[in-house]
Amino acid sequence: MSKREGQTFHVALVGNPNSGKSTLFNQLTGLRQKTGNFPGVTVDMKEGKLRFEGGREAILTDYPGTYSLYPTASDEKMVAAVLTNPADANFPNAVVYVADVKNLEKHLLLLTQLLDLDLPVILALNMADMAAEMGIKTNTAKLSEQLGIPVVLLSSRTGDNVSKLVAELEKLLLSPTVSRKPFYPFTDLEKQVAEAVQLNLDANNPYRALLLAHHHGWLPFLKRNDRETLATIVENKSFQSLRSQVDETLDRFDRFTPIVQDTIDQPPAFPETITDRIDALLTNRWAGPFLFFLVMLLVFQAVFDWSEYPMGWIESGFGSLSDWLKVIMPKGWFTDLLTDGILAGLAGIMVFIPQIALLFLIITILEEVGYMARVVFMFDKSMRRFGMNGRSVVALISGSACAVPAIMSSRTIGNWQERLITVMVTPFISCSARIPVYLVLIGLAVPPVRVAGFINAQTLVFGSMYALGLVAALLSGWAMKKWLRTREISYLAIELPEYRMPHWKNVGLTVWEKVSAFVVGAGKIILYVSIGLWALSRFGPGEDMAQAVVRAETEAKSQQLDQGAANDLVAQRQLEASYAGQMGKWIEPVIRPLGYDWKIGIALLTSFAAREVFTGTLAVLYNMGSAEGDINDSAENESKATLRAKMRSETFSDTGKPVYTLGTALSLLVFYALAMQCMSTMAVVARETGSWKWAIYQFVFMSGLAYLGAWLVYQIFG
Amino acid sequence: MPNMQRRYRTVTELKVRESAKTIAFSDPALAGKLTAMGVLPGTCIEMVRTAPFGAAYYIKADGVRMALREEEAASILIEV
Repeated sequence: MSKREGQTFHVALVGNPNSGKSTLFNQLTGLRQKTGNFPGVTVDMKEGKLRFEGGREAILTDYPGTYSLYPTASDEKMVAAVLTNPADANFPNAVVYVADVKNLEKHLLLLTQLLDLDLPVILALNMADMAAEMGIKTNTAKLSEQLGIPVVLLSSRTGDNVSKLVAELEKLLLSPTVSRKPFYPFTDLEKQVAEAVQLNLDANNPYRALLLAHHHGWLPFLKRNDRETLATIVENKSFQSLRSQVDETLDRFDRFTPIVQDTIDQPPAFPETITDRIDALLTNRWAGPFLFFLVMLLVFQAVFDWSEYPMGWIESGFGSLSDWLKVIMPKGWFTDLLTDGILAGLAGIMVFIPQIALLFLIITILEEVGYMARVVFMFDKSMRRFGMNGRSVVALISGSACAVPAIMSSRTIGNWQERLITVMVTPFISCSARIPVYLVLIGLAVPPVRVAGFINAQTLVFGSMYALGLVAALLSGWAMKKWLRTREISYLAIELPEYRMPHWKNVGLTVWEKVSAFVVGAGKIILYVSIGLWALSRFGPGEDMAQAVVRAETEAKSQQLDQGAANDLVAQRQLEASYAGQMGKWIEPVIRPLGYDWKIGIALLTSFAAREVFTGTLAVLYNMGSAEGDINDSAENESKATLRAKMRSETFSDTGKPVYTLGTALSLLVFYALAMQCMSTMAVVARETGSWKWAIYQFVFMSGLAYLGAWLVYQIFG
Repeated sequence: MPNMQRRYRTVTELKVRESAKTIAFSDPALAGKLTAMGVLPGTCIEMVRTAPFGAAYYIKADGVRMALREEEAASILIEV
């Protein structure tokens, strides 16, 4: 197990959920971390650099929290998949096992399994500070002797003894010792199975052989013939995996419980704590759900209020940069590409960061404090009715920021069907990118009057768009549940951790991670799309574009327009003649029943890659490109008002009737609320579900529903 | 048979604030998950409250707070 000189050490950080593992990871690596991807399993792993005193380095990987090597969720499966495969590039040279010293009797199962895999392990007894307060005394020397591994009592929150852990870890890496007798003696049947596996497959360790037999159905690294061999062994020996798992687990507990009792001196009673008093209110039958909705309302209010300012700065900043570049750079396609393609795309990504960061900040705090586990508990029943799981609530709330990180957070859901439904319906939740579209259309169609004396009608419609998304998500979930009907077992069983102050470093790093997921996952595609769109609207078939420019210039001269207005007219005529314009005209018959003309068609087409380009496209189409991106806030509002005025005066070219009636605007709102218009989300769905099949189903279903809904609304109000 | 009284009941039958020791499990798959989380034969289960919309329970297993679904709670057999 020793590595040659020059090779990098890999260290795995493993432990139960709520063991404070991630806090320790952040303590050990600080900002020297990134999200890596494990081959064969679609789970991102956090990796960080660990520096030892003498300058030696190791790669530390934070594994998902799990109770056992018999996993029930896809993130937990990953732990077993890597640790049973010595050929894996990430297979660790040593494991740091993190356990909560306050609950050690419940935290050692997985450790004993790792010991039986002959992995060099060091035990980090975490939460020493809280244990000391509770009067828990630990004899680490004795524990170390009984388990046969180094043990360090530390606190990942205060940082106490973390350096000692690092020193012990380096010693272990340099001289890994694993000579000890197995913790769990197999039953006769298990011995036979393990021996048979070792005869046929390359497995030098009996427990690894046994785990291969247990997990032969899903372990991703197994070759087809190995899988078949294992299946035959399991069948021939009539090996009952589930029963064997439970018996093994109980036997392990029987063996390590005396060790814990022998080395840890714990006050016998479980005193009522502040957590019990808080939960009496927060999980109360009546007050609990009410307080949850109140919290959510405040969260959204805060996110909208606070993010408005930074969003304004980012918009105006990019606007001025783009204007400045247009002035100092020579006129031509390259400048256009830079300003209207690349910079516009970058601005389209950056402008969402404040909102996404704020929302994830609050979600992460709620999670760190321990509240999210309570939400999972309270809404499990309601979510199951719609084919999901209590854990889906977290994904759905996150979906109101950005579906990309939200879908990735569904990995904690063990049941494949519930996870799939969560992934499929999350994009119905109105995300940040839909907000600008809502704002323009609502401002256009809904008068700012007070309904029932106090609610602004515009606020009401804005809120209804969110409600529409939520209802569509839940009803689709319900329909999918009726349609799929699998028998796979589903779990709630979740620990409700003690309430505690958030660890701010954890919060910061998690928000950073989620925002990066948006920037890298969604941002890259938005940028490409923006450049592609620029090309489609900058170039046209044959001589059309050149002729359009000439005609527009003559027209501008005859109308004696000033320079700005003339430029806007040229831009408008160019867009109309471009490939994008041609495509808009081409799809007009399809969207006419929804009340849209070909200009909206262009905006719709461009939105299918990323919906937030809707307003930008319309601004150009309505001949007001130069009014956009002004420096101060009032000009920004003015430009929105100008856009609205232009939209109001639009008429259909054949009938002469106004385009933007209440019916059209409402129909567009419904379309944007329901349609799948985000390539980044499709890419993530394809990745998380393992095939493009579900992404395509989702696209067809959401867009079909959007078309139907928009048509219905136009028929009623149009 | 003279005494037909049941020698066990399930966690769902616990009243709020009542507690009892676990005897066994009735479903092997759920037992796998529950035992891994430290709910073992002999573990003391206390009922804290039921979920707002029902069908789930807030319990303490040897003082560790946990949320269990109806089926999960029903699969844990406890002393009468």
